[in-house]
Amino acid sequence: MLFWKTWKALSEAGVMGINRRNADYVLKYNKRHLYPVVDDKILTKERAIAAQINVPDLYGIIDTEKDIGKFTQLVENHKDFVIKPAQGAGGDGILVIGDRYEGRYRTVSGKIISLEEIEHHISNILSGLYSLGGHRDRVLIEYRVKPDPIFKSISYEGVPDIRIIVLLGYPVMAMLRLPTRQSNGKANLHQGAIGVGVDLTTGITLKGTWLNNKISKHPDTANEVAGVQLPDWDGFMRLATSCYELSGLGYIGVDLVLDERKGPLILELNARPGLNIQIANDAGLTHRCHAVERHVAELKKAGRTETVEERMAFSQQHFGKPVFLSADEAPVEEPPVEPDTPAPDA
Amino acid sequence: MQSINTHLKILIFIMVSLGLLVTGYQIWVLEIPIREDETDDIWSLDAKVDFRATPGVPVKAQLFIPPLNQEYVTLNESFISNNYGVSVNQLNGNRRVTWSARRASGTQSLYYRLVLTKRYGAEPIESRPPAARQPIALDGPEQVAADALINPIRQHSADIETFISETIRRVNDITDDNVRLLLDGQPTPLNKARVIDLLLSNARIPLELVHTIRLEPSTNQEPELWLRSHNGERWLYFHPETGQQGIPDNRLVWWTGNLPLLQLEGGRAGTVSFTINNSEMNALRLAKMTTEASPSALLEYSLYGLPLQAQQVYQVMIMIPIGVLVILVLRNLIGIQTLGTFTPVLIALAFRETQVGWGIVLFTLITALGLSLRSYLEHLKLQMLPRLSIVLTFVVIIIAVISLFSHKLGIERALSVSLFPMVILTMTIERLSITWEERGGGHSFKVALGTLIAATLSHLLMTIPELTYFVFTFPGVLLVLVGFMLAMGRYRGYRLTELMRFKALTKQG
Repeated sequence: MLFWKTWKALSEAGVMGINRRNADYVLKYNKRHLYPVVDDKILTKERAIAAQINVPDLYGIIDTEKDIGKFTQLVENHKDFVIKPAQGAGGDGILVIGDRYEGRYRTVSGKIISLEEIEHHISNILSGLYSLGGHRDRVLIEYRVKPDPIFKSISYEGVPDIRIIVLLGYPVMAMLRLPTRQSNGKANLHQGAIGVGVDLTTGITLKGTWLNNKISKHPDTANEVAGVQLPDWDGFMRLATSCYELSGLGYIGVDLVLDERKGPLILELNARPGLNIQIANDAGLTHRCHAVERHVAELKKAGRTETVEERMAFSQQHFGKPVFLSADEAPVEEPPVEPDTPAPDA
Repeated sequence: MQSINTHLKILIFIMVSLGLLVTGYQIWVLEIPIREDETDDIWSLDAKVDFRATPGVPVKAQLFIPPLNQEYVTLNESFISNNYGVSVNQLNGNRRVTWSARRASGTQSLYYRLVLTKRYGAEPIESRPPAARQPIALDGPEQVAADALINPIRQHSADIETFISETIRRVNDITDDNVRLLLDGQPTPLNKARVIDLLLSNARIPLELVHTIRLEPSTNQEPELWLRSHNGERWLYFHPETGQQGIPDNRLVWWTGNLPLLQLEGGRAGTVSFTINNSEMNALRLAKMTTEASPSALLEYSLYGLPLQAQQVYQVMIMIPIGVLVILVLRNLIGIQTLGTFTPVLIALAFRETQVGWGIVLFTLITALGLSLRSYLEHLKLQMLPRLSIVLTFVVIIIAVISLFSHKLGIERALSVSLFPMVILTMTIERLSITWEERGGGHSFKVALGTLIAATLSHLLMTIPELTYFVFTFPGVLLVLVGFMLAMGRYRGYRLTELMRFKALTKQG
């Protein structure tokens, strides 16, 4: 049967399904009581600051209607800033102000809005318009990330971000998320952003995924997405790896951005990271997760734990592309040759 | 983790086996019918006694009636007679009714009626084996004839069973002179039985005459004579003429022994005629009747013990796990997205009141209108709570308008949107709008469609009458469901939709 063939192929490739992710990883490693740490961006930020992990600077928090009046005071010294709901999901409710204009504000997309409109937006966030389940929420005002120009050629508006899946403190897979015209400049795969796999060892981009398909060019800029070297890749890896200690959650997706001045920053954490990262990397998560679990079990037997650097090294050693556990040398090779070219020697 | 897995496996095993055990017990031991429309035979046996009373003499008529300790359940037993006193007494393991009157004249008719059924009968109580017996004394030629018969029989037999068969075979051979002598020229079954008894008594084998009635619709049935003997372990039944061994299932023992069926004092020309009728009755009603008739708590501790109104509620409620199971399968095995877990089940319950086709139309219409209002309100930049309140109020208005229009158009069905479906509809719209806000319109459309499919499916499954009856009668199956759900909790395989989603990963390059 057709389904059975697909099933077997997927299972051989170690592709993780939702059921397995929930049963073996999310439920097993993520304690329910720790969820607020990742669901509330303010809590995440506070923890990160305490652990001296780089995050966008916090300009202020508004948690009551009364405090809305303090808004102008909070952003007084900043030309540009971001207004975010603390418990928002999918990037909704985020207002990015890029500049001021005659006492009004200009969003990054060029729209001019008045102070009243901003205050109305803040009030909406407080009433729970963007929070999961409509609970009352808090408003976060923070530093606006300016994306590194490296992404100019393969991105449409917005800020590309990097998602790294971290299991028990070991990064297992990474993906660069590029906004498209369809996603309205948001780096959200569900809304039409593209995901591009990233080699964990080198930080060089691989091919990508767009709406569950494999792609190789950005739909808006038509530039090749593969083969881009992300700057300061070890910095990204270090930040993501240290998020295990920060959150206490065993299976998380860490969202990072690259600021042109401040380098890698942590944006938010996700306790139920999506599975499309597998399509972007053209690789399954299950085998890598099993490798990490085996390694942790061995360490436990030996009675020791590894530091952030050691964990990073483990991941970079084992989870480069292709996923051969023996690959010690840097796998900076040509992408696989088309199968139907005879090519005795390239 | 390993210990949790074993724990889970044991729990699943306990749940499933407990559920199966309870259900199996109900089906095979309590014999509760598996289907609601299953029927059982009810037999009504009439024995009519006719005789002419001798004037001036007290009348006493004694009639054997079936013992009650058989594998049948007596539903009703009645004695009908005018001006006769009735008493029932035991006699040698038989029951006998005695009708008596000081004086009577002319033709008399007495009736005895027994209504019984086979199902739900307790195991019959075995009567005690008879004591060893003395040979019946015979004189001269008869003794010689008996000995002449017994010797070859003894040689051709191995045990009591074969001895009796052989005796029956020989006694039915009327060409044999010895047999002819013993039968004295009367080859009736009763006489043959007497001769068989005689021969067996010489071999010290116990024998009893059993008078039976066939349970089949008939009039003027004669009691059929069977013989039975005990081999130390159990009773063996034989037909006195054919030698057939083992009594057929449909025979009801009326009385045992040599005495005639009717004994009459102060009367003559006594006859007994049997009329047997059968009728069918719903097995479940019958079960309830027998529960009332006998002290066994057959259905006492089932849901049928509840008041009727509560039963109707439980018949709906007990199907909810089935609906939840459908959602579980659709979500975790197929991968259809639905609005929460319980909402589709609630919508399915609402479909009970609106009918499924109409329910889908109403659901789609009202949800679409409610959501379009919501997206219009989005432009007005209203806060969440006031906006939802407006949507909900609007939904109530839509429902009222639909009811009014359809009433004017003569479609009464839409009026059936009562309070319960309305609450569920408004709740669905609220949740859908939240989904819309969190995940976008396309996603919420997908979810709404999935919810509708899941609700329709579980509604269809929850309203199968046979299934409802089965789950209601055998609630043990719910434990089996729990076992399945527990197992599903550890299911790690792909969902069907994921095979589509990750299809790109199976292609090389």
